[in-house]
Amino acid sequence: MRNFDIVHPSSWAEALGLLSGGDEGTRAFSGGTALMLMMKSGFYAPTRLIHLGALEARCSFIEATADGGLLIGAAATLSSVEASPVVQRSAPVIAQAMKKLANVRVRNVARVGGALAHGDPHMDLPPILAALGGEVLLCGPDGERTCPVESFYTGYLETRLSQGELITGVRLPPQAGWRSAYVKCTTRAADDWPTVGVAVSLRVVSGAIADARIMVGAATERLTRLTSAEAALRLGAPDAATFARAADAAAQEAVTVDSASGSAGYKTELLRVYVRRTLAEALLNGAVQ
Amino acid sequence: MDPSIRKIAFTLNGQKVSAQVESHINLVDLLRRFNLDGARESCGQGLCGCCTVLVDGVAVSGCLTLAQLVDGKSLTTVEGLDASGALSVVQQAFIDEGAFQCGFCTPGFVLMTHQLLETNADPDEHEIRDYLAGNLCRCAAYPEIIRAVKTAGDRMRAIST
Ligand SMILES: Cc1cc2nc3c(=O)[nH]c(=O)nc-3n(C[C@H](O)[C@H](O)[C@H](O)COP(=O)(O)OP(=O)(O)OC[C@H]3O[C@@H](n4cnc5c(N)ncnc54)[C@H](O)[C@@H]3O)c2cc1C
Ligand code: FES
Ligand code: FES
Repeated sequence: MRNFDIVHPSSWAEALGLLSGGDEGTRAFSGGTALMLMMKSGFYAPTRLIHLGALEARCSFIEATADGGLLIGAAATLSSVEASPVVQRSAPVIAQAMKKLANVRVRNVARVGGALAHGDPHMDLPPILAALGGEVLLCGPDGERTCPVESFYTGYLETRLSQGELITGVRLPPQAGWRSAYVKCTTRAADDWPTVGVAVSLRVVSGAIADARIMVGAATERLTRLTSAEAALRLGAPDAATFARAADAAAQEAVTVDSASGSAGYKTELLRVYVRRTLAEALLNGAVQ
Repeated sequence: MDPSIRKIAFTLNGQKVSAQVESHINLVDLLRRFNLDGARESCGQGLCGCCTVLVDGVAVSGCLTLAQLVDGKSLTTVEGLDASGALSVVQQAFIDEGAFQCGFCTPGFVLMTHQLLETNADPDEHEIRDYLAGNLCRCAAYPEIIRAVKTAGDRMRAIST
């Protein structure tokens, strides 16, 4: 690694100012777990890192919103999300998934903002937050805006984050009545990056599936919502036959990609199995109160 | 002066120290300058835990931590555990259970075990495996390591009651 400057802004406004030059060598640095790997491998050589550490005190909140939703600050560590009673109560699927995300040391330093901004399709948090209906909160030179997590990713390591913009947090709508699950398949070691990750959220009303969101990560080039699989669920009974129909629709619909962890065809078959399993698990998990 | 070089001050195993560090230096490199070699870089990618250091009491991978960012923090390395002259309960349990062969991975496992037992005094095997999933032992002393964690937990609970 070559040397670079590390600057420590003490406010969002100052951080935005530092990023406004539009220089590729200047980047926000939160937990640094993803950036350090890119810097060590020579994939990225910064000239100036904008360390967001001084904003932590104000931006690591995890709180219930008045409407029963959830607000998580960009600087919240993945460990704090895992341990949060608010998360465990209102979105238990997130707390559960954390236990199998990377390892304790990575979770101790990686932040929600970094986990959302990085844009590697293998990451676990984006599909889960998208299935829960989450919105990324952004601030930039032109003020604040939001973007649904499900449409935040445009390609491999590519997002809708504009030049000079920062993620300040993520907001989830009320989860009461929704059943959610996230299941990933790792094909080499248990703690490896997923080969397929499936997140689902569904609402069952009077014995029929009223609403469903199904997201796939890892197997596709970017986070993808499987709308025809969702359509196959709607108004069906939450049973094995309906889940199998949705799984077939998912396998038909998803554009999987080849990688070192498996061929596209193999991933399509994995997806078929994992959509079925994830739906069954969501049903078992019961509805959030 | 080159703006990428900074003087940082921090607490190292209870001692106040300072150092001039370049921005690209990581925490393992920094510790070498203080002749501490318990934390060692092996995978360099956050996967193996050989470089584990506690920063303000929280376990991190030294290989993924920029040295300049520990300015003002308190670090504990494996060398800090027996600074009083006596081995920590966890270190003794690793010896008693024969939980290592070459010992390269042991500082990381010992520090992670201290962290685990701080938050969960009586972890079951499943919890131990989950918690230590990010620590690799090339000698595969895993069964003995899990026994050592249980033994350390038992002894710590016996002391605290
Ligand atoms: C050993 C290892 C195993 C891993 N395994 C998994 C796994 O199983 N599942 C998984 O999901 N992930 C895994 N990861 C990836 C990990 O989740 C990410 O590295 C982490 O979430 C990134 O967060 P960070 O705070 O460290 O980001 P950083 O490295 O600081 O930043 C990452 C990117 O986000 C940008 N950024 C950071 N914060 C902001 C912000 N507030 N606004 C705008 N942009 C921002 C940075 O500029 C950079 O481009 C693993 C990582 C390691 C090292
Ligand atoms: S050397 Fe840091 S985790 Fe392996
Ligand atoms: S004892 Fe040799 S690597 Fe663990």
